[in-house]
Amino acid sequence: MKAIKEPTLYIHGWRFLQIGLLMHVWIVGDLGFRAFILILLLLILTSLRWRFRLPVWSVLLDVLLCLLLFPYTDIHYVALAIPMFELALRGKWMLSLLLVAGFSLLHALHVIDSTIDLIFWYHLHAFLFGCFSWLTIKSQQSYKREADEQRKARAELERIKMDLLEANHSAIHHAELMERYRISRQLHDHLGHDLTGALLATQAYEYVKDSEEGDKLLAEVRQRLERSTVSLREAVHNVTPTAMIGVERLDYIISSFQHKDIAFYKSGDMLLVSAYMWGLLEACLKEALTNVARHSDATKVKVDLQVTESIVRLSIHDNGSVTAGSHEGSGLRGLKLRARSIGGSLSVNRQDGFLVVCVIPLEKVGGADEATNRR
Amino acid sequence: MTVFKFSLKRSFSNKTNLLLLTLFPIAFIFFPEGEYWPVLPYGYQYFGIVLLFISIRLTTIILVDRAKGVVKRLAVAPISYGSYLCQNLLAFSVILVMQCAIVVYGGVLLGVELYQPHWLMLLYVSFSFTSLAIALAWISIFRSKESAFLIYMSLVTLLAILGGLLMPLQIFPEALIRIAVLFPTYWLNQGMSWIASEGSVGDFILINGVLWLYTIIFMILGSTRKIH
Repeated sequence: MKAIKEPTLYIHGWRFLQIGLLMHVWIVGDLGFRAFILILLLLILTSLRWRFRLPVWSVLLDVLLCLLLFPYTDIHYVALAIPMFELALRGKWMLSLLLVAGFSLLHALHVIDSTIDLIFWYHLHAFLFGCFSWLTIKSQQSYKREADEQRKARAELERIKMDLLEANHSAIHHAELMERYRISRQLHDHLGHDLTGALLATQAYEYVKDSEEGDKLLAEVRQRLERSTVSLREAVHNVTPTAMIGVERLDYIISSFQHKDIAFYKSGDMLLVSAYMWGLLEACLKEALTNVARHSDATKVKVDLQVTESIVRLSIHDNGSVTAGSHEGSGLRGLKLRARSIGGSLSVNRQDGFLVVCVIPLEKVGGADEATNRR
Repeated sequence: MTVFKFSLKRSFSNKTNLLLLTLFPIAFIFFPEGEYWPVLPYGYQYFGIVLLFISIRLTTIILVDRAKGVVKRLAVAPISYGSYLCQNLLAFSVILVMQCAIVVYGGVLLGVELYQPHWLMLLYVSFSFTSLAIALAWISIFRSKESAFLIYMSLVTLLAILGGLLMPLQIFPEALIRIAVLFPTYWLNQGMSWIASEGSVGDFILINGVLWLYTIIFMILGSTRKIH
């Protein structure tokens, strides 16, 4: 099908049709074998043009062949249409026009006699078809160049987008590690220090004989434990996020979406899912629900979140009827890219309602240091 | 010349090919002579058809190579497609020329009336190359060996009838005789008539020249590298 749209197919078709026409003229014209040889030689040139891109000067060979047989046969009048066409096809339309005009002038002045009528119009048609083919090929080349440039720019943009997503993923990961380090330092510097001191004081208390000294130690232990309790409360208070995250956030989004009847099912250990994954899952859920509200006639939506040891899978399925013209928007495309950047996937199915499934692997994400940190 | 040697070996690899390439041409020497037509014994009249069949049989090796992906592998091998094609065609040409020699000089040895055996040999060699080029162009259209061969059989029958190899051209209407000139088989038939009638050398050169022009045309059309 693609080959049918190629202009070169029609150009080669025209060339071989010319040879067919010459053969027809030869058969009906009762011409001699010299004319037949001319046709075969022109056929060789046509075949060569079909296989290779011959230089422009090769047109001279066609002209020369026609002129060589000029005294013997009339068929070269018809055959001259081939060099006229070839010149116009290579953009040398002035030369081609000159050939057409020159030949017509000689014909009009009866310098050369042709038994074939309307030969001028036939030559003009060859010239015009050559010009048309030249223009078509030029336009096609220009479109191809433009399409290539656009494709290149799009690929570049995709690459930049992927780099940004990876950088984002890396930044999230580093932020998580920094937060863990901060908590660990806080626990070590304040809570750990006081608890160790209290432990040492209780151990020392067993060896103290003097009751006054013992009371002093107990007071110190109490003081350290009180300080530890305060420190622990502060640490917990600082660590606890003020905004909702994780599955609570998904719950909140679903509860605040009141347009449709939404059922939310969840299973598995939600703590296995990292913060940046929740970000993607939240974006998927929001995008799917927004699409339902904007473009769908669905009445029910089923949201299913499953967390296993290896993957987390979020599916959003509605019962809307999909129109033929529905297509994937930039939102879903962006989400696909984000899912791909963290090793997951996002797929869409339109067969029975509209189904969006986002799958993210749990084990591969984060690498060895993540696994160590979890432990 | 590895491809050349391998191609020769492959051509004789199976029994059918072995019979077709050796015994089959010999059998043609023993065909009887016609009373009024043809000018040469029947075996020599039909030998052109045999050459057409043998050519397609040989060139299907290239078709099989294309189907099996050998041509694709050649694209990354230190051998050009042109070299591969030339060596294959050279091997096929050697086989065809040897067959022509067997038929012509075998006939001479057995005392068959061939008028001018050397000219006949030259004519057969010219037509061998033409038939090889036709077969090459033919297989470049097809992907399957079987379909290429089956459709080619019909084409050969048509070429043989219209070219005047199976029946005399004189029985055809004038327009059909005129069309027959377009077929290479017509020129082979003309060549055989020339050998029997001993015309001018110029006419014989014209006949061979046309056959060579056909060879060039079909060779150009058939030498395209097609990778499936």
